[in-house]
Amino acid sequence: MAVKTETTPWTKPAGKPIAGKAVPRPARSAQVQAYLPELMKGLGLTMRHFFRNTKQMVLGQKPDPVLESLSEGITTIMYPEERRPYPARFRGLHRLTLRDDGSPRCVACLCCSTACPAQCISIEPAEYPEGDARRGYERYPGTFVIDELRCVFCGFCVEACPCDAIRMDTGNHPVPYDSRDQFIYRKDLLMSFASRDGQQLTENPRHEPGDATHPGITREQAGH
Amino acid sequence: MSGVLIVLALIKILIMVGFLLNMAAIATWADRRQGAMVQDRVGPNRAVVFLPSIVVQLLFVLPPALFATLAGFTAYRGVRGPGAAEAALMGAELAIFVGWFSLLVLCFVVRRKGAANALDEMVGGWAPRSILVTGLALHVAAFVALSMVPAGSWGVAARGMNGLLALVFAAVGIYSASKVPEGKVGIRLAGTLHAIADTMKMIWKEDFIPPRGDRLLHSLAPILAVFPVLVTCAVIPFGRTLCFRDANGNGFDFADLKTVAPAMTSAFQCPRGTAVPLQIADLNVGILYIFAMAGTGVIGAAIAGWASDNKWSLLGGLRAASQMVSYEVAMGISLISLLLIYGTIRLGPMVEWQSTHTWGIFVQPFAFILFLVALLAETKRVPFDQPEGESEIVAGYFVEYSGMKWGMFMTGEYVEVITSSVLLTVLFFGGYALPFLQNDGVRVAFGDTVLFTYKMNHVAVVVISMLTFFTKVIFVAWMQIFIRWTVPRFRYDQLMKLGWTRLLPLALANMLVTAIVVLAVDGHSDIEGALSFAADVTQALLAIGMVAAVLAFFFGLVEPVKRQKILLSTAQKFAAAAGGVRMRPRQA
Repeated sequence: MAVKTETTPWTKPAGKPIAGKAVPRPARSAQVQAYLPELMKGLGLTMRHFFRNTKQMVLGQKPDPVLESLSEGITTIMYPEERRPYPARFRGLHRLTLRDDGSPRCVACLCCSTACPAQCISIEPAEYPEGDARRGYERYPGTFVIDELRCVFCGFCVEACPCDAIRMDTGNHPVPYDSRDQFIYRKDLLMSFASRDGQQLTENPRHEPGDATHPGITREQAGH
Repeated sequence: MSGVLIVLALIKILIMVGFLLNMAAIATWADRRQGAMVQDRVGPNRAVVFLPSIVVQLLFVLPPALFATLAGFTAYRGVRGPGAAEAALMGAELAIFVGWFSLLVLCFVVRRKGAANALDEMVGGWAPRSILVTGLALHVAAFVALSMVPAGSWGVAARGMNGLLALVFAAVGIYSASKVPEGKVGIRLAGTLHAIADTMKMIWKEDFIPPRGDRLLHSLAPILAVFPVLVTCAVIPFGRTLCFRDANGNGFDFADLKTVAPAMTSAFQCPRGTAVPLQIADLNVGILYIFAMAGTGVIGAAIAGWASDNKWSLLGGLRAASQMVSYEVAMGISLISLLLIYGTIRLGPMVEWQSTHTWGIFVQPFAFILFLVALLAETKRVPFDQPEGESEIVAGYFVEYSGMKWGMFMTGEYVEVITSSVLLTVLFFGGYALPFLQNDGVRVAFGDTVLFTYKMNHVAVVVISMLTFFTKVIFVAWMQIFIRWTVPRFRYDQLMKLGWTRLLPLALANMLVTAIVVLAVDGHSDIEGALSFAADVTQALLAIGMVAAVLAFFFGLVEPVKRQKILLSTAQKFAAAAGGVRMRPRQA
């Protein structure tokens, strides 16, 4: 809608109709024109903020920036000392879960490295030594390497894992390092991590060969 | 000029320059921190120095130990003569102040971090408001009790009270040191370390000169920008005149420094002996010197804009030059009305006039507003910072500067803030004058009716006047920084219009009206009497206002901030279950 405006120094081009919606100019009342009353109001507002925030800092009453993110006040998190609690399903750095005897639950099936869209997982499977109850039934990861710099933290490896052997519940976000080598996490390091509540095991039971609950099937029975 | 006068002049220069430079460094921090507090941010407070806990303990112990030693020495030596009553009063009031203030701090610390022993638990259980009220009551009680002490026992009272002060200081120092945790302790000093960190960074940064710029002028400009604002303060009186007596009769020399005139009259002249004005140079051109020096400030900005070989900096330099020249006119004329009333252009007599009558802001409120606006424009600060308007011309005239040269422009800007606060204080806020504080002590009088008198030592009056001056300057600078965080930038044509078509005619009109009123009042003793009574009333209002402001500050501070807790999102609910933002030790 074109609106015909009268010619004033503030409308350009003078006298030409303005295309589009006309925005009414604010009233230029004496109070606004005098500027000082409005300035004092503004000073009062800034001072109110200043005194409230300063008082909170002095008295140590800074509101919790996460809990009260929508309320007024300082919402800065002083990061290295103060941490924002991550949600329960936050995908942090990986860890390898352990069995009761401290060995990795991983059976080196390569599901995770197959599922990984970033191809950042590398596993070399190894056989248990002769005489071990698990030999012939399952293998273990000789090397287990994750390049955390390549990782996109999608969580597909966790979903793909049939043994609940890899998890991303450490609650640690990726850490900055000086060199690329330091982002290569190996088996020992991954096994040393714990979940956010300090667990290195998982709640899911594992039926070891020799247990009463184990069906007793081995690789030797594959050839019939 | 004798040797002692030269030494005293050097000391005065050191005080003034030290105050300016330190305050400028603190203002760079205060500006950012204040803006952060206004905008609900934390602001710069991350600069940190990690010190071993023993060093931090020493930092906590040493200053109180120094004061305790001073007080203990005074108590041990004793005070004789007329100074004894004041020494007793000062000792008692200081001891009470240090006592309740430390208890208040301890109370808040305990409430924040938990109690470590029975004393902590007791103090943390007290209401902060009751600590404050008890302290104030003790202040009044000590004043009343000490004024009833007979003149013969002043010496004993001075000893006792200073001994008490020493004990309080020692207790505070040792107890606060015992609270320092083990291991490395991070010292932040509320973020003031940022100024040091920034300076170190700027000193080591590359000093870049544009290849086609003018090398000489490019290096000269920062010097020209800093120099004028520093020398402006040479004529500022920052305290009452110190009076010395000539004890050995061979003129004023170093030996006479010990014989400060003890008894003074309320007049400003020294009774006899040598007067040492607390002013670096008492020029008879006074305010004209300030205008002359402030006027040369434009050269630095203009040369910087020209020498940088950059269109933006050239625009910035042009803007700075035209803006500063324009507003200088209005600034000078707005002050003429004030000079008509003071009847002098020397700054010392101006402050004396305000001390005996009333502050300049009450006689010329309109001139104050005009002068304040012109001064803000002159210092090139928001809302008049078009010369460095980021959104239009990047950084204006110093866009091609880096390192410490840029730092000098920044220092110059903040010294200018302090200098303009100094000017406002001296011209409109009574300089070193406090309501009812005369040269010989407190004297509350309306017209000829004297309500209350209290004689004070000459040195005490001078020290109080100096502290008053510097406190006022800091307060005015704080107010100026607030204007920066409140008002948005003007457009350049608005700026020019304001200067030439508003400020200048208004200043001229104010000057004319003031001149007519001054002529009309001159010689009518009844009107003059009424005016001087009104002046005393304004002084009383000022005194009440100051006390009320200080009390309101402390009472407001001890009341905790009330806030509603609203948990809205699921993320917030989870965070609440997890205990909110948690403090953890620093990682590597």
